[in-house]
Amino acid sequence: MAMKENVILDVKNLKTHFTSKRGVVKAVDDISFTIHKGETIGIVGESGSGKSVTALTMMGLLPKPQASIEGGDIILNSPGLGPVDVTKVDEKTMRKIRGEDIAMIFQEPMSSLNPVYTCGDQVMEAIMLHRNVSRKEAKVRTIDLFKKVKLPRPEKIFDTYPHQISGGQKQRVMIAMAMSCDPRVLIADEPTTALDVTVQKSIVDLMKELSEDNDMATIFITHDLGVIADIADKVVVMYQGKIVEQGPIFNIFNNPQHPYTKGLLACRPRLDVKLRELPTVSDFMEVNPEGEIVEKKDSKYKSAAFAVLSNLVTEDEIQEKQLKMLKDQPIIEVKNLKTYFPVREGIFKKSKEVIKAVDDVSFKVFEGETLGLVGESGCGKTTLGRSMMRLIEPTEGEVLFFGKNILDYNKKEMMQLRKDMQIIFQDPYSSLNPRQTIGDAIVEPMRFHKIGSSDKERRSIAENLLEEVGLSPNFYTRYPHEFSGGQRQRIVIARALAVDPKFIICDESVSALDVSVQAQVLNLLNRLKENHDFTYIFISHDLSVVKFMADRIMVMNDGKIVESGFSESIYDAPKSDYTIKLMNAIPHGNIEDIRRRTLQRKAKTDTYGY
Amino acid sequence: MLKFIGRRLGYGLLVMMGVTVIVFFLFHLLPGDPARMVAGKRSDITTIEAINKEFGLDKPLPVQFYLYLKDLSPISIHEDTPQNQDKYEYTELINLGEEVLVLKAPYLRRSFQTNKRVGELLMENLEPTIWLALAAMAFATIFGIAIGVVSAVNQHKFLDNFLVAGSVLGISLPSFVAAIIISMIFGYYLADWTGLGLTGQLYDYSPFGGKTLNLKNLVLPAFTLGIRPLAIIMQLTRSSMLDVLKQDYIRTAYSKGLPYKKVLVKHALKNALNPVITAVSGWLASLMAGAFFVELVFDWKGFGYVTIKAVESLDFPVVMGAVLIIALIFVFVNILVDALYALIDPRVRIS
Repeated sequence: MAMKENVILDVKNLKTHFTSKRGVVKAVDDISFTIHKGETIGIVGESGSGKSVTALTMMGLLPKPQASIEGGDIILNSPGLGPVDVTKVDEKTMRKIRGEDIAMIFQEPMSSLNPVYTCGDQVMEAIMLHRNVSRKEAKVRTIDLFKKVKLPRPEKIFDTYPHQISGGQKQRVMIAMAMSCDPRVLIADEPTTALDVTVQKSIVDLMKELSEDNDMATIFITHDLGVIADIADKVVVMYQGKIVEQGPIFNIFNNPQHPYTKGLLACRPRLDVKLRELPTVSDFMEVNPEGEIVEKKDSKYKSAAFAVLSNLVTEDEIQEKQLKMLKDQPIIEVKNLKTYFPVREGIFKKSKEVIKAVDDVSFKVFEGETLGLVGESGCGKTTLGRSMMRLIEPTEGEVLFFGKNILDYNKKEMMQLRKDMQIIFQDPYSSLNPRQTIGDAIVEPMRFHKIGSSDKERRSIAENLLEEVGLSPNFYTRYPHEFSGGQRQRIVIARALAVDPKFIICDESVSALDVSVQAQVLNLLNRLKENHDFTYIFISHDLSVVKFMADRIMVMNDGKIVESGFSESIYDAPKSDYTIKLMNAIPHGNIEDIRRRTLQRKAKTDTYGY
Repeated sequence: MLKFIGRRLGYGLLVMMGVTVIVFFLFHLLPGDPARMVAGKRSDITTIEAINKEFGLDKPLPVQFYLYLKDLSPISIHEDTPQNQDKYEYTELINLGEEVLVLKAPYLRRSFQTNKRVGELLMENLEPTIWLALAAMAFATIFGIAIGVVSAVNQHKFLDNFLVAGSVLGISLPSFVAAIIISMIFGYYLADWTGLGLTGQLYDYSPFGGKTLNLKNLVLPAFTLGIRPLAIIMQLTRSSMLDVLKQDYIRTAYSKGLPYKKVLVKHALKNALNPVITAVSGWLASLMAGAFFVELVFDWKGFGYVTIKAVESLDFPVVMGAVLIIALIFVFVNILVDALYALIDPRVRIS
């Protein structure tokens, strides 16, 4: 290739294995790809596909002694050291490469900064390590970097501790730290997954700008193809440790070859049309007896586009449903609900100020509908959901459940309410007790609410539930740590179903999951709704997920509902600026945008003469 | 920060008041006639009555409690008489005619046995105990943290297993057994080699040289007293380090290119120390108060030694005074530690 001299990182036949008592896991299994100067590549795949291990191998940060590099080379064209193979260098050289040639930012900005040092100190530390400068000079450079990553009031942030700033700001500090010694390669491992969509957009925009300004190669690791549509030049798709497809981003989006890529592209909820069911990765591919991944022969869908077209819900159907819904009686009516949290101070705990988490909110929920609730973190959507169930005691207002105010319920009535209303939480890792078997977790609420006459009967109900949510009944006696995030969320759903509720609140129930798994869980929730006639409130920060699930949408900001209406009308004609901001933040993956951007970049590199 | 400490002091005062109430009523429920103990068994009724009157023992319990509180309070109102001046050694603040508002050291009354002032008696013996506890704790903290870190970075290797097993032994060994074994081995069998004695005081009093400091005698009691906290601090440091080393910010520190030792000390250890500080503080306070057995075995004339002797002879004012001083030490050390927390971990300062 003509750009051979511009190769900055060349990965050749890399194999990284993990050895445990259970055997050897080929986390990275013979992968090869190259990155050129100034290029941005996206590595896409679900959890466990080996994308993070690839990054850690490049950084020489594999957990010892479990992980080992079993073969292959990673040739780095370091400006200082010349070509080096980072899989074979000694620790001292590797330390020089880390931070100076290859820098990395991580998924969890909340825990990636050391809580006991100021943000400024941590960035300065990196500068003083690699550059021979005084503290004073390092401080000046740090504040410059903070300005570059667009942190507000950089001088102030310099002296603040990580817990005092928001998640998006922490990620900016991390980026500043990674950029501090002008690395040739920046690895970003799911840098936006833990953040709200609006913050995600601003971080992606920032990274795009920085990599263009500094002529730095960027590796952007993500489980969501949509996120990198705006930023990547090239995409590497990984599945089970192997690269299943790689190529320029336009080709991947326009004409994906591998069934897994097709599935990934199709499974993200779309804003523009309403689908009956989300296509999932398993609709496109299967594993043949030889263990190879192949296109599903009797697939429902021939292509990603076909998957969308064959699943459309027509305008007429939507209208019919809307009309029918409004005829029904509301199952829940919330009137002027307020939940305030006092800010307490002083010995005598006299409350001075209050935080208005839910501030005078009124709405109705109709039987059989899915009501979507969207807003950024901190807008009060979770508090609203919990206040409606009296998991948090509201300050004022009424919640009428079948016409009766639940805030006046006595103990016995509350018990019945706990059975009728269920909630599915965000984090499937912390919402299951690690010491309780899956079966016990599902049976426990049944026993409490006296469902089923004997433990034997309850067990068979639980096993049926496991089957209904797409798990094996044999899981009954197993413990939560044996399951993946998606499986755990299914277990949590089965537990909620155990008491036969009428009304379910899904509080960010899919936000912690990969897009491919998210699609499966969303489909499951919809199927269950049809089978059991549930009513849902679906809370999420992601407007596209809510749009797919909900019949009606409420947009919440600062404890107030800023806009509400049918999903289609909100999408077609958003009234508030806030809704428009949320909508713009959704990664589109629009093929025309990608074409335009690719051409622009090409024109730019051509003028540079290579 | 000042506000933070002020609030802690307020809480401390409340704790002290609670302790005073409990101590006072508890000791008045105990059997035994204090007047007889003071005067001896064969004294006549008039002497007993005179003593009862002097100590206020003939008054109803609530009044006695009021008088006790008045004696304890650093700021109080007394009749301005030479007797009171002599009894309380107060400094006059405001003259209120017959009475005066005064500032004084809390008056803990006098020992039934020796008729010495309890405050003086205890304070004299507190100093050797403080030195003993501090020395033991310094030894335990320095070695505990160091061994804990070594153990953590060698997790699952032989050295780690060996150290953990050793620490279990250290925790389960009762201090009086350890004291006897250690004094026998190092103070007797190996005395020629170590140059240490079986027993000894912090200060030697000789007719000519007066008071001389004898640090050598501190070694064995401090070592004995430090074994248990050392083992616990070591285990805490180890588990805390293992936990911190798994954190994301440690990976961040490596990804900057920092060398191993710097990551370990600067980024991991500082975060791992929080639970250790709690342990150190708890132990320091209880060592000051509870070095009873070790002091007894090594014949170390300290706070615990005096208290045990007082318990033996039912010398209530001394025991009550000892309990109050112990409580005060606990409260004070805890405030100190809270302040230390706030200094080390910025997140505490907010809440």
